[in-house]
Amino acid sequence: MKNRKMNKIISVIAVAAMTVSMVAGCGSSSSSSTADTAEEETTEAAETEAADTEEAADTEAAETEAAEETASDDEAATPRNETVYFAGQQWGATNNWNPMSSNANCWAIAQAGNAREMMYESLFMYNCLDGSVTGLLGDTYTWNDDKTVMTVTLKQDAHFSDGSAFNSADVVATWDAHINYGSPTGASYMLYIDSIEAVDDYTVNINAKLNDAGQAENPLMVETYITAIYQMSDEYLQVVSDRNGGDAEAIKEDKMEDAVHSGPYGNYYASEQKVIYMRDDNYWGQSDSMWGSLPVPKYLAHVIYKDNAAGQTALQQGEVDACQQFITDVQKLWLEDGLPISTWLDDAPYGLCLTMPTIWFNTERNGLDQVAVRKAIAMATDFSQIAASAMSGQTYTFDEMPRCVANPTDAERQYIDFDQLTDLQFSGNDVDGANALLDEAGIVDTDGDGIREYNGENLAYQAECPTGWSDWNATLEIIAAAGQNIGIDITTYFPEYASFADDLTTCNFDIGMWTPTGAEIAGLWSRSAAYFKDDYAALEVNWSGNFGHYINEEANEILDSIPYMTSDDDLKAAYTRLSQIYLEEVPSFSAMYRPQAFFAASESVWTNYPAASNDETSNIPPLVLTDGAGIEGLYHLELVE
Amino acid sequence: MKNTLNQVFHAPKFLIGFIIFVGLIGFCFIYPFFTDKGPLTMYGNGNFFPPGTYVNREEVVEDDGYTLNIERNAETKIAASLGDNEIKGILTYFDLAGIDYSGIDTNDKVALVDLWMENYSSDYSFKTTTANKKLFARIQSIVEKAQKDTGVIIAEKNAETGELEQSETITGTSYSNTSDLASVITFVLGTDNFGRDVLTELVSATKASLRIGLLAGCIATTIGLLLGLLAGYVGGVIDNLITFVTNLFTVIPSFIILILISYSVGDSARGVTVVGIIIGCTAWPWTTRSVRSQVISLRNRDHVNLSKLSGHSMMRIILTDILPYIASYVVMALILQISSGVLAEAQLSMIGLGPATTKQATLGLMMQWATQYSAHLNGAWWAYFPVVITIALMTFSMNLMNQGLDQVFNPQLRD
Repeated sequence: MKNRKMNKIISVIAVAAMTVSMVAGCGSSSSSSTADTAEEETTEAAETEAADTEEAADTEAAETEAAEETASDDEAATPRNETVYFAGQQWGATNNWNPMSSNANCWAIAQAGNAREMMYESLFMYNCLDGSVTGLLGDTYTWNDDKTVMTVTLKQDAHFSDGSAFNSADVVATWDAHINYGSPTGASYMLYIDSIEAVDDYTVNINAKLNDAGQAENPLMVETYITAIYQMSDEYLQVVSDRNGGDAEAIKEDKMEDAVHSGPYGNYYASEQKVIYMRDDNYWGQSDSMWGSLPVPKYLAHVIYKDNAAGQTALQQGEVDACQQFITDVQKLWLEDGLPISTWLDDAPYGLCLTMPTIWFNTERNGLDQVAVRKAIAMATDFSQIAASAMSGQTYTFDEMPRCVANPTDAERQYIDFDQLTDLQFSGNDVDGANALLDEAGIVDTDGDGIREYNGENLAYQAECPTGWSDWNATLEIIAAAGQNIGIDITTYFPEYASFADDLTTCNFDIGMWTPTGAEIAGLWSRSAAYFKDDYAALEVNWSGNFGHYINEEANEILDSIPYMTSDDDLKAAYTRLSQIYLEEVPSFSAMYRPQAFFAASESVWTNYPAASNDETSNIPPLVLTDGAGIEGLYHLELVE
Repeated sequence: MKNTLNQVFHAPKFLIGFIIFVGLIGFCFIYPFFTDKGPLTMYGNGNFFPPGTYVNREEVVEDDGYTLNIERNAETKIAASLGDNEIKGILTYFDLAGIDYSGIDTNDKVALVDLWMENYSSDYSFKTTTANKKLFARIQSIVEKAQKDTGVIIAEKNAETGELEQSETITGTSYSNTSDLASVITFVLGTDNFGRDVLTELVSATKASLRIGLLAGCIATTIGLLLGLLAGYVGGVIDNLITFVTNLFTVIPSFIILILISYSVGDSARGVTVVGIIIGCTAWPWTTRSVRSQVISLRNRDHVNLSKLSGHSMMRIILTDILPYIASYVVMALILQISSGVLAEAQLSMIGLGPATTKQATLGLMMQWATQYSAHLNGAWWAYFPVVITIALMTFSMNLMNQGLDQVFNPQLRD
């Protein structure tokens, strides 16, 4: 008994001693800077243990280390009032700065219809608000009469970050590099472009690939090329080639940390925590032929956050200025929290909805090859619940914007005759209608387990999208719930992105979710092609569309004829017919409308962002200040104070 | 037996744990009798509706109502509609527009609004942020609404002409009695990101989690007990073999095995039962180890040797001479296994490897969706806090019971 009491007393004393020592240890670290704190603590340690020389040496080493850390921290710590912070555009350390790479995860590189124009630049910029195309490195483009050769003139003021002039040799070298080294860009555009040749120093001809009838394969894709693909420096490509001994694989994976680029921002700092791009004050675009000035912020920085929640917290604290993330109930940030945060629109849907995340059916699976099953799932799905809860209201409903192959912009919707589609629309949550449709098709439950069968097999499917994509995950849950109501067993499956991508692109899924082309120069055609094109179904690995291998001859004939149509009436008839097929056959269906990019801007440091209500910036698309014509936003920013 | 039970229920820790546990289970079984809501039905058309009673607005408007001599006056209207953000906005506007408000108490909302009405103009002469401009416009519309005393006009569309016809004007003295209204719905804990009633979901989830815990606990304890008895009593090669396998499982973190198995069985197969079985099958090693060591210390006791000399079968010796001596220990192990089963389910569901969301609510799934829709950043405490409390209460009560039992059965801890 005595022994136990003694033990207790000793343990109490021990705990007290530890607590006191911890408090004493923390007491000295009142400084706000971490680097300072580290130094103070090491100094303190050095003083007490000065007698021991070995330990003192250790401390010195630690101090030097701390000093080095401070130095690299200095580089990363750019002045707040010269830096615009971003979130949601890069989620891991940068692999490379190489536009030819197949695994570029670099923030500055996004070669799509609205190319990211901060470091590299494309020839032209697409404005998804009004559908206009503005010259960037290119000045004008014209087609010959039969649309087989596109002539592009170049801006004579343009030059690269190393001072060398940009001219037609660079445009040719860029194309040749993509083709010779077999880059992803080369692989996709070699189907549509035969060659690019220089006419003079500032004029190039893009020769379209011709089909057997002597027509261009697809002039629209040539137009996409000039708004999507970056132009690289001929001389720099030679340097990269030389240092890799001309090996194509090595060249494609070259890090290009020292990249010569034409855009206004260059690689300045990159670590696993943060990437920073610094303005090139010698940027050619300050000439009057382009912007007439430099972009306002000197630095563009992107902290690499662990997840959405971390990014959102940073936005709320004013540490992030432009946030490309899905934020639940985004309006609460200003209505309830009173934060100086705003979006493109002040009310729902808050963003500029341009894309249509789509539910794809694998039409090779038992049951999903039947229109009735596909259409029943679409009819039973509660779209208003998806809009209100999965998308948190940040979308148009299908009542506001009826379904068709066009996205919810006038630029595309002018080609659809909605009167012809009225009877084909399904509003969703129509469980009775869906059940009746299935019963009528003879697809019923014969063994009494509550699940309908087709060819003797239960209709059981997995609905798949990448894990952590919360709005998509919730959407698929709502579709799975709809399946239960109509006797179709749908379970959700959320694998890692890479594994999902494999499944989707090799047609190894039942029901998948993916977004076809958004708003770009040939967006309407590309999206329609993504829904129907049989060429895509024939590819072994296919990123372009028709993931579910749906084959419809009529649709393909229409798709093939559209690129050569010149009259708006013909185009309208064609796209309306495609929409009819889309709604009748349901090879896939749109689950919601979604912004091309989410964009919540904080006015804690910067103001005058693109906003629909701001006359000065209302024609700048809200593409997070970086993409396509949205880059113009950087030239209008102002400091709050 | 009676004496033991008496002892157990006099151990304060056990009693407290028992009361919490029974209370929790009792609530879960009684609650469904008082509600007709489904745990997975999506009621709310939106994310995270706050707790409270919801009244059908159409019904309120159609209700004849009562006239009370209590005017919903401008002051209360303004106080109710202007929050701290809006008041801050008004002051910001005054500062920017150079309006002197030094004579006004900034807590006097009516005076502030009067000054606002006198001075506000939508063509700002000063430079300010878009957020501020939007805030000022919002304040103006709130103030205009609060200031007007014409009442709300109810109009209906004429079916023939399509024109609006005024049918009624609702004034500030018109009230509805909530007991006259048929469509009054209370969400005690609000709704979640799918619009489901959190309380109903929580009750269903607690039951499911307990089922998983119970199943997992029983399986783990049974496997652990059998292997432990066998290894401890038989010894020799069998002991070596079982110890080897047990060590193997102890070295590999069981959660990793849990993840791998859960992943490989696939989503469609992962119901409550399967998840329970998977957890049970990975949690047994520590029970085996401790039962084995207990049995080893028992097997050379005199009474066991006597039994052996009397020629009793191994089965009989284990059942009558060994098991009763470790029974209390096994019960305690079972309780701990149940509680860790509940936690394991929560962990699994948090990373998306639990049961399917559309088929069964579980505590882990509720946490997962609350996190995915950032309930913790949006102040939607009702979507995750009750879940955390429930998990904590469940495991806490079981641990308390376990400690109470320990106090009764462990001779070293007896006073």
